[in-house]
Amino acid sequence: MEEKIICSMDGVAIYGIISICIFVAFFSGMLLWAFTKKAGYLNQMASLPLDGGETPSNDQSNAE
Amino acid sequence: MNIETFKYDNRIVRAFAIMTVVWGIVGMLVGLLAAVELFFPGANLNLQFITFGRIRPLHTNAVIFAFVGNGMFMGIYYSLQRLCKARMFSDFLSWFNFWGWQLIIVSAAITLPMGFTTSKEYAELEWPIKIAIAVVWVAFVVNLFGTIVKRREKHMYVAIWFFISTAVTITVLHVTNSMTMPAGFLKSYSMYAGVQDALVQWWYGHNAVAFFLTTPYLGLMYYFLPKAANRPVFSYRLSIVHFWSLVFLYIWAGPHHLLYSALPDWAQSLGMVFSLMLIAPSWGGMLNGLLTLRGAWDKVRQDPVLKFMVAAVTAYGMATLEGPLMSIKTVNSLSHYTDWTIAHAHGGALGWNGFLTFSMLYYLFPRLYKTNLWSTKLANYHFWIGMLGMIFWIVPIYVAGITEGLMWKQFNHEGFLQYPNFLETIVQVVPMFKLRSIGGTLYFIGVLMMAYNLYRTAKVGEFEPDTEAQAPALEKAAVAPHGKLSFHRLLEGKPMFFTVLAILAILVGGMVEIIPMFLIKQNVPTIASVKPYTPLEVMGRDIYIREGCLGCHSQMIRPFRSETERYGEYSKAGESVYEHPFLWGSERKGPDLAREGGKYSAAWHYTHMENPRNTSPGSIMPAYPWMLTQDLDTNSLPMHLAALRRVGVPYAEGFENGPAQRDLQAQAEKVVADLKKDQITCDASKEIVAVIAYLQRLGIDIKSAPVAAK
Repeated sequence: MEEKIICSMDGVAIYGIISICIFVAFFSGMLLWAFTKKAGYLNQMASLPLDGGETPSNDQSNAE
Repeated sequence: MNIETFKYDNRIVRAFAIMTVVWGIVGMLVGLLAAVELFFPGANLNLQFITFGRIRPLHTNAVIFAFVGNGMFMGIYYSLQRLCKARMFSDFLSWFNFWGWQLIIVSAAITLPMGFTTSKEYAELEWPIKIAIAVVWVAFVVNLFGTIVKRREKHMYVAIWFFISTAVTITVLHVTNSMTMPAGFLKSYSMYAGVQDALVQWWYGHNAVAFFLTTPYLGLMYYFLPKAANRPVFSYRLSIVHFWSLVFLYIWAGPHHLLYSALPDWAQSLGMVFSLMLIAPSWGGMLNGLLTLRGAWDKVRQDPVLKFMVAAVTAYGMATLEGPLMSIKTVNSLSHYTDWTIAHAHGGALGWNGFLTFSMLYYLFPRLYKTNLWSTKLANYHFWIGMLGMIFWIVPIYVAGITEGLMWKQFNHEGFLQYPNFLETIVQVVPMFKLRSIGGTLYFIGVLMMAYNLYRTAKVGEFEPDTEAQAPALEKAAVAPHGKLSFHRLLEGKPMFFTVLAILAILVGGMVEIIPMFLIKQNVPTIASVKPYTPLEVMGRDIYIREGCLGCHSQMIRPFRSETERYGEYSKAGESVYEHPFLWGSERKGPDLAREGGKYSAAWHYTHMENPRNTSPGSIMPAYPWMLTQDLDTNSLPMHLAALRRVGVPYAEGFENGPAQRDLQAQAEKVVADLKKDQITCDASKEIVAVIAYLQRLGIDIKSAPVAAK
C-alpha cells in the first residue's frame, strides 16, 4: 500500500535526494566549523560560566 | 575601559525556585495517587474529578510544565543573566512570565480534573489556556532575546544556544499542534484528523520531550556543572557538535511513537533511523558532562550538588540509549502500549529532570541566601532515598512492561492465544504496580526532605534580592581598532542569525515529514463505508475524551497476528478520516477498543461502567457511576457539530438545528430499548446511553460493507 502511495506522488524521488543533500551538507558544514575553531577561542568560551562578573564581595561561586 | 556596574535579579530566580518545589510536591503527589488507583481502583472514592483518566494528564502536565517548567525558568533566569553579564531585559516581562505561568498551571489543575481536555498527550489544555500559554511564552522569548541583545559579554556560551533553540522550537511546536476549532468556551476539535493528527501530535509530543525536557536542561547542565565543579566543560568543541546534531536530528524522530500504526511505512522508517542516529549526540553530551569531572571525582563524594548532577547526566545517557533502541521496529513491537514506555519516561523524568532540578536547587538556595546549605547530610540522604525510590519505581515497571508484551504475544501449541482474556495479563502485573508506588513514595519523601532543607537554609541565611556585578560595556570593547566598523553591530545581529540557523535546522525535519503527509492526504485510501459519527455517538465520544479513556485504551490494532486474533482486523488509515482528534492512544492498561462495537451487549457495557468488577472480576478499571446519573448536555450539540463540520466532517448545513436532535433522540431510544431487553431501565437522557452508542459503533464501519479503496 505504502509503495503505491509513494509511487503515485509526482517527482517523489526528489524528496530523498534533497533530504540526503541537506543532511550531508549540514553535518559537513557543522563539523568543518567546529574543527577549525582555534584552541584559544575554545578555551575562552569554555571558561565563560566561571566568570559571572559578580563583584568579589558578592561572588559566592566557590562557597560550599 | 568603561567598567559598568549592574545588578542581577535574584527575586525572579527565587520565585521560580520556590514554585519548582511546590509544584514538584503537587505533581508527584498526584502521580502517587494515580499509581495507587492502578491497583486499588476505589482510591478515587468514586469521585469523578480524581479518576485515573482525569488525573493522569494532571500528573504529566504538573510534572512537565509546572515542576520542570518552573525549574527551567529558574535555571535560565539565573544563568542567562550571568552568561550575558546583564540584568534581564525587562523586570516586567520576567514577572509577567512568572505570574502568567503560575496562572496557567492553576487553570490546568482546575480544568483537567473537571474533564476539559483535548485528549492530545502533553497538549491536553483547552484552547483559551493554549492561547495564554502562547502569550506567556512569547513574553519569555522577548525577555530572553532582549537580554541577549543587551549583553556585555560578546560571545554567546553554548548554554544560550540551547535556550534559544528551546524558545523558538517550543513556539513552532505549540502553535502547529494547537490548531483547533473551538466548540464552546472549553471545548475544541483538532483541525487535523486521523493519520495527520497523529503525525502532528507525535511530532509535537516527541519534541516537547526534546525541547522542553532536554535542550533547556542540557543548557543548564553546561552552565551549572562547570560552576559546581569549578572547572570548564571537558570539550567546548564537542558541545558545539552536540548542540547542532541534537537539534537537527531530534525533530525527525517523532514517528517512532507510531510504529506499526496506520501511519505510512516510510514515515515510520524515517522516525526509526533518525532516532537511532540520536544516540551519537546524546552520548556526546553525556560524556562531555561526565568528563568535565575528570580529576574531580573526590568532589563528587563530598558535594550533594555534584552527586545529583552525575546521577542526572547518567540517567540522561541511559534514557537516550534506551529511547533509540525502543524505536527499532522489532523492539517497539514488544514495548509499545506496555508499561515499558512508562518506565522509560520515568527514567528520564525522575533521573534526568528530577535530579538535575534538585542539584540546581541545592546549588542556588545557599547562593541566593548567602549562606551554607542547612544540612549537607540531609541532602545526601535525599540523594540515596531518591536513588532507591527510582530503582523501586523503574525496575518493577520494566518487569511489568516486558511481562505484558510477552503475554500479549504468547500463542499455545494449538495456535491460539495463550492469554485470550486481556485481564489475565493485567492481573499478572498488579504486584509490580504496588511495588512502583513504594518507589514513588520513597522518591516523594526525598523531595519533602529537600523542601525542608531548603526552607531551613532560607531561614538561616539572608536573601540577597540583587547581586551586584561589574563588566566592561560591550560597545567600547567591540569597536574595531581602525574605528571603521562597529563590531558590536555585527554581534547584535548574531543572535538573530543564529536563531534563523536554528529554526532552519528544526524546520527541515518537520517539513520533510509533514509536507508529504499532507500531499498523501489525497492518496490515503479512503473507505467508502466509513461514515461520520451520529450526533449521539459524537456526544459519547466527547465523554470518552472527557474521562481520559485513551489513557488506558488504544484504538489502533497493529498488523500482528497476536493483535488481529485478539481484537480483529488491523486498523486502517482510512478508518480515521473523521477522527478529530485521533484517539489511537499510546498505552494499554485495558484492551484495545478499535473493534469494540458489537462485541458485547448494551447491558454488558451498562453494568461494566457501573462497576467493572461486576462483569470482569479483578479488573483495575475505575467505576463510572456518574455516567448513569448525569444528563447529556444536548444543548452543546449544535455547536459541536458545527465545529466538526468546519474542520471537514461532512455534516449537511443546518443538520445541527433540529435534525440532529431528533436523530439523537431516536438513537437514544434504541439503546434504551436494547437495555430494556436485559431488564435494565435507563432514561434516554443519561450520559451512559451516548457512551454505549459510541462504543457500539467503534470499528463496525468496515464490517458493514466491502472495503472499497479509491
